[in-house]
Amino acid sequence: MTAGEGPGPAPAHATGAAGPAAPDGADPVILPGETWHRVHFISPLVRGWIALVAIVFFFGRDWAEGLFEGGTRGRNSLPEGADALLAGGILLGVVLLIAGAFFVSWYFTRYQVTAEHVRVHSGVLFRQQRQARLDRVQAIDIVQPFLARIFGLAELKFEVADAGESAVRLAFLRIGQARQLRATILARAAGVTEDPERPGDVPEAPEREVVAVPPGRVIGATLLSGTSIALVLAAAAVVALGIGFDTPVIITSFIPIGIGVIGAYWSSLNTGYNFRAATSPDGIRIRYGLLDTRSQTVPPGRVQALGISQSPLWRLRGWYRVTVNVAGYGVSSSTEGQARATLLPVGTRDEVLQILALVLPDPGTPRPVEVFFAGMEGRDDPEGFTTTPRRARWLAPLAWRRNGFAVTGTALLVRSGVLWRRLVVVPHERTQSLSLHQGPLDRRLRLAGLELQTTPGPVSPRVPLADADVAWQLFHGQASRAAEARRRSGPEQWMRPVPAVVTDPPTAPGPESLPPLPPEASSVDPAAREVMPEIPRYESAGSTPNEEQHRDRP
Amino acid sequence: MPREPIDPSGLEWSRVSPKYLRVRLLGWLAGSLLWLVLSSVPLVLRLTGVWSSFPALWVAWALPGAALVSVLWYGVLLPRQVAAIGYAERDDDLLVRSGVFFQRTLVVPYGRMQYVDVAVGPIERIFGMCTLKLHTASPATDATIPGLPTEEGSRLREQLSARGEARLAGL
Repeated sequence: MTAGEGPGPAPAHATGAAGPAAPDGADPVILPGETWHRVHFISPLVRGWIALVAIVFFFGRDWAEGLFEGGTRGRNSLPEGADALLAGGILLGVVLLIAGAFFVSWYFTRYQVTAEHVRVHSGVLFRQQRQARLDRVQAIDIVQPFLARIFGLAELKFEVADAGESAVRLAFLRIGQARQLRATILARAAGVTEDPERPGDVPEAPEREVVAVPPGRVIGATLLSGTSIALVLAAAAVVALGIGFDTPVIITSFIPIGIGVIGAYWSSLNTGYNFRAATSPDGIRIRYGLLDTRSQTVPPGRVQALGISQSPLWRLRGWYRVTVNVAGYGVSSSTEGQARATLLPVGTRDEVLQILALVLPDPGTPRPVEVFFAGMEGRDDPEGFTTTPRRARWLAPLAWRRNGFAVTGTALLVRSGVLWRRLVVVPHERTQSLSLHQGPLDRRLRLAGLELQTTPGPVSPRVPLADADVAWQLFHGQASRAAEARRRSGPEQWMRPVPAVVTDPPTAPGPESLPPLPPEASSVDPAAREVMPEIPRYESAGSTPNEEQHRDRP
Repeated sequence: MPREPIDPSGLEWSRVSPKYLRVRLLGWLAGSLLWLVLSSVPLVLRLTGVWSSFPALWVAWALPGAALVSVLWYGVLLPRQVAAIGYAERDDDLLVRSGVFFQRTLVVPYGRMQYVDVAVGPIERIFGMCTLKLHTASPATDATIPGLPTEEGSRLREQLSARGEARLAGL
């Protein structure tokens, strides 16, 4: 580790097994009222209901089978007398044992939110004490599975940059309590000094809705997705086989196909339903879900890379999907994981621009609308895009006019794909590293590929088949732009004022040098967090931001 | 060190220890033997008559032949591959390059560095060398510098840590 409290996974790691209530010597700032809390007492039931259902199913099935057998064969397999007592006792014992285990685990799980950390102690035999710095927060989710929703409970997930596994999961809290905790954590993480009279009593930041996806569009997008294409192809194949070989039985294979397709449709509907994106001083907030609902908050500056994609069928309606790399979310192939990394499941061009304006308030170009539209659906080189040189067109016969990149003052735009269109936006200060690749064929054609490494996620920025000199200039320029942007980037505690630009970078430490400033040094007025935010918007440089005009462009 | 087309100009690349070639050659030798033995199994079985007719004789001969050619080709490339590994420390970032046919140049800003690994394998230890690996928040960043003399490895580690701390930025 480069520093004791450096960036990255270390702060979330479990510490040893000291006394559960022993305060950490490094963190003496414990405000009054910061006692240890437990999650809601009903949560073991909500979490363990599957186990209970399984037991009931297992025993119940045996019992029911016995009942039927007894009836048909005249042999009574139902236990009687002592046997029945024994069976009942075993059943009760198992249930009690499981319930006891859940209860003990619940009893020993405690959490605490201090001025700088969130701590969770858990485990009975193997104790675990976990502590995560609040200003390292990458995202906070409030998840309500269906059953928890019935009880008015919610799970709180606190994400740091460790690619996947949630650093802190509090399951379950009452929904109001979860919201309160989220507001407290976000306010402290933002660097807001709270009212010392009422610690922990932080109001929720106001939010303004930016995009709402109507249910009709979610259904339409689901029907126009790749699943439908696969379904049509599979159906055609099955029917062709059935007719060709005169085997109507093959039609039954529609049953598994149908189940799979319905499952895919359902999960896409369940995660895209009622999707809403809002802006607030705490960051971008998105909400969605039909049965299970989820509310995610991504504080400012936590989006590492953003991808805008369009599948061929979606082009009919001009729909796009926006996905992001957020360090805490990681890569996941599960529906839930994919939904988490989706900032807009289906939206029009203008809604995509709205989302872009939230993520990248300063586009770094006087013509943001034109530049981003060119990236989303344009080709060749208007608006500063550089494409694959003509001599390499046979390597990418369709895509060579679209494969390209553009650099604005704040971000790198990478465009690719003809059928599956894709635009990737990487803010300069979020570049982790860059690599330049050249194979033998590339060398012969004076080409090179550039790759930007970002935190794990669905977006992977890659500039293929660029002119070698251009790629080299981009590599070089991007490295210095990234360094420059990092110097100017805001502090991790996002409400704190942006520090002055350090003029002498080789000797002076970076603006975010540790240790963090004590709260008195530059306090942030709590009222600043309670101001209703304006919706950032990109201004078109053209006369009117008329959609039809852009559509007519070649 | 010859400048390759995609290398930034005006940059002094540091090369890894020439002794690293021996480490690679040892590994290559072991790997080659294994491949040759494995690929000649059908031939031996065919010649001893355990397998009567299944692989045609020329196929049985071709397998170890192909293995030999590819192994030799790889061996011939090794010195150039080792010579192609280079790194350069700049004010703000570290550059790492590698590859002969498929070249790669990587730049990692010091401020993006999360931690530095220095690993020593048994063969490397005999030759007094280590492998340094720099990690960022992206697992795709493959900034590995093998074959550093131990002192140079620890110097570089300290240097990188110090510079990383000075330019510390979040994610």
